[in-house]
Amino acid sequence: MARPLTPHGNKDMIGSKGIIRRSEFVRIITKALYSLGYERSGAILEEESGIPLHSPLVDCFRKQVLDGNWDGSLATLNKISISDDVLKLASFMILEHKLCEFLEMDRVLDAVNTLRNEITPLRIKPKRVHELSTCIICPSLHLSLGSINGIKKSSSRLKLLNELQKVLPPALMIPEGRLEHLIEQALNVQREACYFHNSLDSCLTLYTDHHCREDQIPSQTTQVLQGHGDEVWFVQFSNNGKLLASSSRDNSAIIWEVREDGVLSLRHTLTGHQKPVLMISWSPDDCQLLTCGLEEVVRRWDVSSGECVQVYEKNGVGLISCGWFPDGKRFFSGVTDSSICLWDLDGKELECWKGQRMIKTSDLTITGDGKQIISMCRESAILVLDREAKVEKLIEENHTITSFSLSRDDQFLLVNLINQEIHLWDITGFPKLVMSYKGHKRSRFVIRSCFGGYEQSYIASGSEDSQVYIWHRGSGYLIAALPGHTGAVNCVSWNPVNPQMLASASDDHSIRIWGGTMLNLNHKEAYSNGVSHSNGKNVNDNELSL
Amino acid sequence: MMDFDPRVYENVSINDNDVRNIVLSYLVHNCFKETAEALLTGTGMQQSVNYLSDLDKRKAIFHFASEGDALRAIELTEQLAPKLLEQNEDLHFDLLGLHFVELVCSKKCTEALEFAQAKLTLFGKIQKNVEKLEDFMALLAYEEPEKSPMFHLLGSEYRQSIADNLNRAVLAHANLPSYSSMERLIQQATVIRQYLHQELGKDGPPPFSLQAFLKS
Repeated sequence: MARPLTPHGNKDMIGSKGIIRRSEFVRIITKALYSLGYERSGAILEEESGIPLHSPLVDCFRKQVLDGNWDGSLATLNKISISDDVLKLASFMILEHKLCEFLEMDRVLDAVNTLRNEITPLRIKPKRVHELSTCIICPSLHLSLGSINGIKKSSSRLKLLNELQKVLPPALMIPEGRLEHLIEQALNVQREACYFHNSLDSCLTLYTDHHCREDQIPSQTTQVLQGHGDEVWFVQFSNNGKLLASSSRDNSAIIWEVREDGVLSLRHTLTGHQKPVLMISWSPDDCQLLTCGLEEVVRRWDVSSGECVQVYEKNGVGLISCGWFPDGKRFFSGVTDSSICLWDLDGKELECWKGQRMIKTSDLTITGDGKQIISMCRESAILVLDREAKVEKLIEENHTITSFSLSRDDQFLLVNLINQEIHLWDITGFPKLVMSYKGHKRSRFVIRSCFGGYEQSYIASGSEDSQVYIWHRGSGYLIAALPGHTGAVNCVSWNPVNPQMLASASDDHSIRIWGGTMLNLNHKEAYSNGVSHSNGKNVNDNELSL
Repeated sequence: MMDFDPRVYENVSINDNDVRNIVLSYLVHNCFKETAEALLTGTGMQQSVNYLSDLDKRKAIFHFASEGDALRAIELTEQLAPKLLEQNEDLHFDLLGLHFVELVCSKKCTEALEFAQAKLTLFGKIQKNVEKLEDFMALLAYEEPEKSPMFHLLGSEYRQSIADNLNRAVLAHANLPSYSSMERLIQQATVIRQYLHQELGKDGPPPFSLQAFLKS
């Protein structure tokens, strides 16, 4: 190979920080060119740069392997400076392949001889040696040889070469796809550092560093829903993101519909409770709704008709929470006597777990597989009970817990504390505290928080200072504190299907829908301030009453 | 060694006939035909006619098995006790394995290979035999099988145990006891003493040791 005069100078290190070796950089590019099929370009680069992709010895080795010149390849291997262990391992792999090829050609005795005279003396991998022995005699017993059968010689030898590359020092033969791997790493780092990455379709480009604009985080009120006559305590989107349910101190619950254009309109008002409605739970198929009155009864509603289908109560005690079981055929509810009951839809009590203490909030949730029940067991502790394995895990906090919610993948629990902190716990295996979120205000009431956004990368919470708080989940960084409500924000819910839609419920009797600033441009431009209001009445598409 | 008052033993009476039967059972089990005949004549014991008849044949079987000539052992077994090996698959497998080992030891690689493919691999269909089969097959991988991890398969102890198993099976097939009374008695004494030792600890008698017993 001719040694060219390089007009670009012959610096060994390149790049702005001087940490990249020229020879490594060029070789990786050369390898990428060959992988892409640009043989000529690869060859020219090798020539022009004077940096060969492989040393002559390695080139020779590769050719010998591809030609099936096993003895030659072993001899060359011995000349390459590698450690004894690696040499033995690589030799083993080559000889194993040689044996397999013999078997393919039915040259059984040759295979036996290879095993006895060449492979066994290497004195490594005795188990594999025994397996090979059995393979020779009884191929059906071991499927490990199956990988050779039926594949053309050329591609199986190429496969061998790739396997050898993984075993030999990386500088000898550049790993397949190395350049692509480095770039993917860089893209990942960029994406993780982007706090505002909240869109399904933002694609990463190599031309500039990835940097989402803030406009994808819900930060502006897009709608104010005035359907309730008193404090709104709970709000939650349905699983399919097409409906929103809210419940209030006015003893009612409301089902809102999310239209195609992102505007919500009232569908049904659910009346019947005699007490403030504490909590709502959507059935897994979103066709039914459970509501729970404060120390009262649980009602089951049909979503399409808005009718109350059944009332569940227990004599002498009141119910304080409700939640569906993942199979949609049962539900559980917390009771004022500190127990938790599992009901079937007909109203039969299936199981009852006795609790220890009287706790104000009796949040209860079940993982999607129905196996783990997560409930409050003390004022400052949460119990994660595995129903089948009968194993209990405890999440212990230093302060009273006011509420909690489970991530969609069932692996993380978001816990709201009385001291104005929200803690994120990893509950797979032994519970571990992962992150803390601060900034919001909570002193007297139950404030709820939730996961949300693209891949649930955000945490949102209500606050007693009337703002909605949003943090970046991974870093704990407070991204936004959104003003708008005129009373404490009790509960927030992020649309599971639309990462840019957030709902908040407040003591000011209203529910606000928040969206990204980009969205406002799509709204019907009848409003100068980009905010649309909706009261309790059904609204005609064409007219809005303010 | 014996913690009991020796006079305790004096109170146990032993029938001479029983003792002779014990000795006879040992001789028969191990195919000592002449010695057994001498004992019978010398003591005037009465025994049924065909008690010693198949002794010679069984002796031959045992001999070939412990020498490693498994094929001959199999042949003779088929003659003396037809269908025995069919009913004792494990034993059959062990014997064939013995032959395979012989072939490997005599460096008859091709023969060993063919034999294995023809006869042994059939047994591999049953899961519990697979590990044993692998051990046999693995011998092929070594130029010097005696230096391989499976060298015990080549030893006389292993052959002896296979021969013993075969002997027991032949006896059982002929509805004779497959363990000599002597063996059983010693085993009995050992187990009981062990049990007592565990139960009573230091207060009880120590575990039974045949060696110590014989020396005392």
